[in-house]
Amino acid sequence: MKVINIKSLFIGLLVLGFFGCDEQLELEPAQSISESLALETDANIKAVLVGAYDELGVGNLFGGETLRNSELLGGDGEIQWVGTFVGPREMFTKQMNSDNADAEGTWLDAYQTINILNNVLSALDRVNDSDRNTVEGEALFMRGLLYFELIRFYALPYEAGQVNSQTGVPLVLTPTRGITDDSYVARNTVDEVYNQILADLTRAASILPSSNSWRASSGAANAILARVYLQRGEYQNALNAANAVIESGEYALLGDYADVFNRDANSSEDIFAIQNTTQDGTNAMNTFWSIPDFGGRDGDIEIFQGHLDLYDPADTRLALFFMGNGAMRSGKWNNQFGNVGVVRLAEMYLVRAECNIRLGSSTGAAPVDDYNAVHTRAGLPAATDVTLEDVLFERRLELAHEGAKIHDIKRLGQSVGGFAYNANELVFPIPQREINANPSLTQNPGY
Amino acid sequence: MKKLSLVFGLMLFVLGTTLAQRSISGTVTDADGEALIGASILAQGTTSGTVTDIDGSYTLNVPEGVTTLVFSYTGFRTQEIALGTSNVIDVTLEEAVEQLNEVVVVGYGTQIKSTVTGNIAKVGSEKLENTPVTTLEQNLQGKSAGVFIESVNGKPGAQMRVRIRGAASITASNQPLYVIDGIPVTTESQNLSGASLNPLADLNFNDIESVEILKDASAAAIYGSRAANGVVLITTKQGKKGKTKVEAGYQFGFSNPTGRREFVNAAEYVELFTEAAVNLDEIEGNTPDGFNWKDWVEARFDRYAGPSDWRTNETDTDWQDEAFRKDALSRQANLSFSGGDEKTRFYVGLGWSDQEGILVGNGFTRMSGRLNLDHSITEKLTAGVNMSISRTFTDQVSNDNAFSTPLQLIAQAPITPVRNPLNEAYTSPFGGRTYQPGELFDRPINVYYNGLIDTEEAQRNVTTYRNIANGYLRYELAPGLRINGEVAVDIYNLRDDAFWGVKTFSGQASNGFGSSQSVQVLNYNTKLYANYITTLNDVHNLDLVGGIEYQKSERNLTRTDGQEFPVDDLKTLASAADITLGTSSLTQFSFASYFLRANYNFDRKYLFSVSARVDGSSRFGENNRYGVFPAVSAGWVLSEEDFLAGGSTLSFLKLRASWGQTGNAAIGNFPSLGLYGAEGYNGTPGLQPSQIPNPDLTWESVTQIDVGIDFGFIDNRINGEIDYYIKETDDMLLNVPVPGTAGFTTQTRNIGAIENKGFEFVLNTNNLVGEFKWNTSLNLAFNQNEVTRLADGQDMIDGGTNIVKIGEPLGVFWGKEYAGVDPANGDAIWYINGENTGRETTNDFAEANDVVMGDPNPDVIGGVTNDFSYKGFSLSVQFRGVFGNQLFNGSGYFMSTQGAWFDNQTKDQLNRWQQPGDITDVPKAIFLGGNGDQRRQSRYIREGSFVRLQNVTFGYEFPRSVLQNIGLSRLRLYVTGQNLATFTDYDGWDPEVSTDYNVSNITFGQDFYAAPQPKTIVFGINIGL
Repeated sequence: MKVINIKSLFIGLLVLGFFGCDEQLELEPAQSISESLALETDANIKAVLVGAYDELGVGNLFGGETLRNSELLGGDGEIQWVGTFVGPREMFTKQMNSDNADAEGTWLDAYQTINILNNVLSALDRVNDSDRNTVEGEALFMRGLLYFELIRFYALPYEAGQVNSQTGVPLVLTPTRGITDDSYVARNTVDEVYNQILADLTRAASILPSSNSWRASSGAANAILARVYLQRGEYQNALNAANAVIESGEYALLGDYADVFNRDANSSEDIFAIQNTTQDGTNAMNTFWSIPDFGGRDGDIEIFQGHLDLYDPADTRLALFFMGNGAMRSGKWNNQFGNVGVVRLAEMYLVRAECNIRLGSSTGAAPVDDYNAVHTRAGLPAATDVTLEDVLFERRLELAHEGAKIHDIKRLGQSVGGFAYNANELVFPIPQREINANPSLTQNPGY
Repeated sequence: MKKLSLVFGLMLFVLGTTLAQRSISGTVTDADGEALIGASILAQGTTSGTVTDIDGSYTLNVPEGVTTLVFSYTGFRTQEIALGTSNVIDVTLEEAVEQLNEVVVVGYGTQIKSTVTGNIAKVGSEKLENTPVTTLEQNLQGKSAGVFIESVNGKPGAQMRVRIRGAASITASNQPLYVIDGIPVTTESQNLSGASLNPLADLNFNDIESVEILKDASAAAIYGSRAANGVVLITTKQGKKGKTKVEAGYQFGFSNPTGRREFVNAAEYVELFTEAAVNLDEIEGNTPDGFNWKDWVEARFDRYAGPSDWRTNETDTDWQDEAFRKDALSRQANLSFSGGDEKTRFYVGLGWSDQEGILVGNGFTRMSGRLNLDHSITEKLTAGVNMSISRTFTDQVSNDNAFSTPLQLIAQAPITPVRNPLNEAYTSPFGGRTYQPGELFDRPINVYYNGLIDTEEAQRNVTTYRNIANGYLRYELAPGLRINGEVAVDIYNLRDDAFWGVKTFSGQASNGFGSSQSVQVLNYNTKLYANYITTLNDVHNLDLVGGIEYQKSERNLTRTDGQEFPVDDLKTLASAADITLGTSSLTQFSFASYFLRANYNFDRKYLFSVSARVDGSSRFGENNRYGVFPAVSAGWVLSEEDFLAGGSTLSFLKLRASWGQTGNAAIGNFPSLGLYGAEGYNGTPGLQPSQIPNPDLTWESVTQIDVGIDFGFIDNRINGEIDYYIKETDDMLLNVPVPGTAGFTTQTRNIGAIENKGFEFVLNTNNLVGEFKWNTSLNLAFNQNEVTRLADGQDMIDGGTNIVKIGEPLGVFWGKEYAGVDPANGDAIWYINGENTGRETTNDFAEANDVVMGDPNPDVIGGVTNDFSYKGFSLSVQFRGVFGNQLFNGSGYFMSTQGAWFDNQTKDQLNRWQQPGDITDVPKAIFLGGNGDQRRQSRYIREGSFVRLQNVTFGYEFPRSVLQNIGLSRLRLYVTGQNLATFTDYDGWDPEVSTDYNVSNITFGQDFYAAPQPKTIVFGINIGL
């Protein structure tokens, strides 16, 4: 090899090295795209909306834990938390600490979803005209649904007929583009938050189509509206909303109670549900209520005799309970990859019946007929006359372990485990990490 | 070594025009009789001299009047031989007792240690070879001052936590940069499931010639934005001109855990939980339906005891015996060939290491090969390759936070039989499957999933293939000026194949579950640099290096999961009826760099060094893509001055000082961008925001000052170093917690600051010389770490139990201060620690304020090695110590709750409060807990200091006279004990611990069912041909 060749080789390499490097530093991620691109086109904005559904269905939210947490917080004598996780244990024993991991997870994931929705809502002008109302309605539905969860868990209960100036949760209605002074939000009052929930859901109900596959429909918005009004003790409004869902004709009760649960796809009874597949999604209800044979943990929640004794032996809803891993279990959550229901038609019948009894009306149907629609489906003889107590008891059985428990206790002014409906112990702490990160936030009493 | 001796030889080879009166010849050898090539011989008082040739021979014409010849060789003691009548003088040089003239590897070159102005710790091959460990870093433990190395737990091939002069970062990596033969290699754990594995375990440490640890900025700054945590330079063995050496080694031995925890037995278990249930019944009063917890708990005993009778203690299982393998095998074999001639030098190393884990179902095997070859194409042009290829196989167990990890077996009840003890099938009346005789039980008989089922019914194999190779050309453009061009690759391939059968936790709901993952990290590196070494007027010594370097790393991942297998025997995904996950991803980063260094010294007396590196990286924001990392240092060798020279006691004294800046770029690959990632839902594609942008993002900057003294007394029989340093990290990258209401939890910003400062001492002494030799080497380091700045308005980052808090060391434990037990009622009590509460206590956990309850950072670390030898016998004893740190037993709230839930309890829980007046620190037992079993409290803090007998090796080297008869050049037998004894007050398994599922910059020093270290004894043999 000639010396001169070696020299030129080295010099060549040197030159190449000096001028070739800078471009090599421009690398783009392969799994992500930029913020501006994500909100640029109709298709991309709709993809972001799907991303919001995905986040709505995480374990900490409607993937199951908001349902589970309601049952644990309202649980006493009928169920027992026996799992190792501390967060749920503290909820069950009503001894939550401000660093409760589950209370933190729900808060963070709820606001993360709200930010996605705010992004979608900020980009509506780039959505095709024909789809704009649907996209807006779906986003508003989810935002209203999430604020309703937040306000019920993280604030003292709504007191019907009063000014609710107690601290609620922060209302964030614009997308986050960077962290600024505006990011350090304070808590709004319970009234302010409820007003936003009603505004979001009412508009959603008015612009959504009545049928929208697994996505939010006007029926879903009305069903959640019925819940919100019921929680506020506004029975006429709740009645109207529930009636609208039933009268829409989009939904029908299934013949067999057992068919309602463990579904891979929505049934005619489902108004809105989180969709899980083997590829994607979390069924946190399966995780905690079921047993390893069906993909659950060790059977973290046991059903006690105190609950089973509530049922008539002929009640088909009783037959859904089973012995597994040494204790009785709810059979509603045995499909590891099954959907997690958010709201279904049976609840609407019971809401309409309850409100009609309270108001002395028969809007849509006589209370006893709505009651019987649910009662006889469970294999029980039709009643000829029902009282408010009958309807509330029916509700307790029909919706058992589906997430209504603590919210019903609070709206009905009941107590649980010696704690009154408005006890501090029945309110989640504002997560400690949130208090640390944001000095504008105040902690709930008792933490 | 070779290169340097050449330079020395040239310097000393002075062509004189002297009159030859007499010709002396002979050979120069070392103590083993090996020829020393390039040793210099000087006729004293003249400039006449020569160097030895390839056979160690020399011939020198000695001028008249010369009476003495001076024989010298780098690293050996200089000898003066008086001329006698003989014209043949054969000399055996003894290795120098001190290593001040030894050569150390520095970034892009080598330097003589006595002229180094930075702080570099060197560990030679003799301290790395033949140890029964799996990875290099374990061999470095306790050997260098200020280098803290922890095996996070005792799983073979597990991650290592290395901190050089303390932790300098919160968000970016705290691990040093590893450079093997000039190649910055991949060291981040790449496996996705189970316990994290250490990519450096791919390296056969028996192939390593030396490890240099660059600690201060002067030494490390040439590595710029990746040198903030120090740099570990690994140099592999090269062939030497001369006779071909063949060496073989084999060792064989056993490992057992270093420690055990004490748990209650079956009778105590029943007693404790019955008492806890009765106490709960008393608190709750009579319930109208007649429910009571005592009956409920006894029903649970019936369930957990399976077919045995818990009332008679029929079963008393010690689950630790089930989790640990007894006498785990440790085997290792190595074979190497090395040698060469004028043109070509080579080293070939082959290795095999097979380490059974001390946990059942855990093991590690490595096969490795290395070829280092260099060839002189012409006198001026040299080409070479360093190539290694290795395969490791890990019999993987879950990380510490899984029911299936072996050590979580200890949570099982001692009243539960491991297997069906009956001679017939058994079905629990509480449900579950039917167990054949001898079959492992599972829930509902077991309290938790029986992890042993994983060892029989699951298969988790992680295989890595690693190829690290570089090729280089070196051309001598002019005397002293060398140009080097290098191209290198580090290819890391990992396959993780897992299968869980229908009886396992992961597979039972889905007729088996399988996962196959593959990760490929392709890291390539090119560089071109020039060295220029020259001496002007005999006294001005100049050493320049400058060049460019480019590195790019690409990481590809694919993963497929499937379920619904027809039978357990079909374990590959081809047999899965339902594929549940399929994904692939790509990520990459690149660095482009320019570097320069100038070392100058005047007569090896006044030393100066300046260096700078310019680094650009894809990882950083558009606005701050390039950074400059400068360093300057100076030294003064006082012992070369006339006023100190010639003193008989003080033989060497050097003062040195350095200042420099390094960077830390080891964060995610795209942290500066505002991003949306894909998140599908119900089969529909979707997008979600994943990151807030920060275009200003850049590296962390670490400024370090180091002042030091190197000294030697009595002909350097006593020598050492003392250093003081201050290392300040600024612009520290923080994932600053932002209000979660913004939809994000953190944003990465350059905002924090942290400071490390400390002293380091190194002392080496030759206590006895002569036939019976005794050398001692001691190192000791004191480091103080303090977080000095966080984001505006931020006082603390809560990492779970470890936190980051201004004014405190990184990672202190934060929680309630446990005050023990109220003797009156057995309630757990805590110090309120409020502003005006003094030392008042409360039994309300929530009322007590959080305080710093411990610090997982040691105050002092050190090591001491004593080497003894007498004739062929040698004994080396190494102790290592870690002092002043605390540990948090993260599993305390399961295993030490005086019976809150059915986890088996530690023996100390028997000291629970039972009646008024009892003085104890274990509260009253109450089933379902709530009395002092909260997690985050100082009840679960322990002192973590320990002294470990790290390594003891006793060997016998057969004398040459015996070997000659059997045709061997070397035969050595030895026995080595690793981790033989650990002296500590820690009551857990082992005080060297950080649970592997939860170890990070902030979280460490937590024990959570973490495997202890293996205590290993091996017997070995080394043979040389």
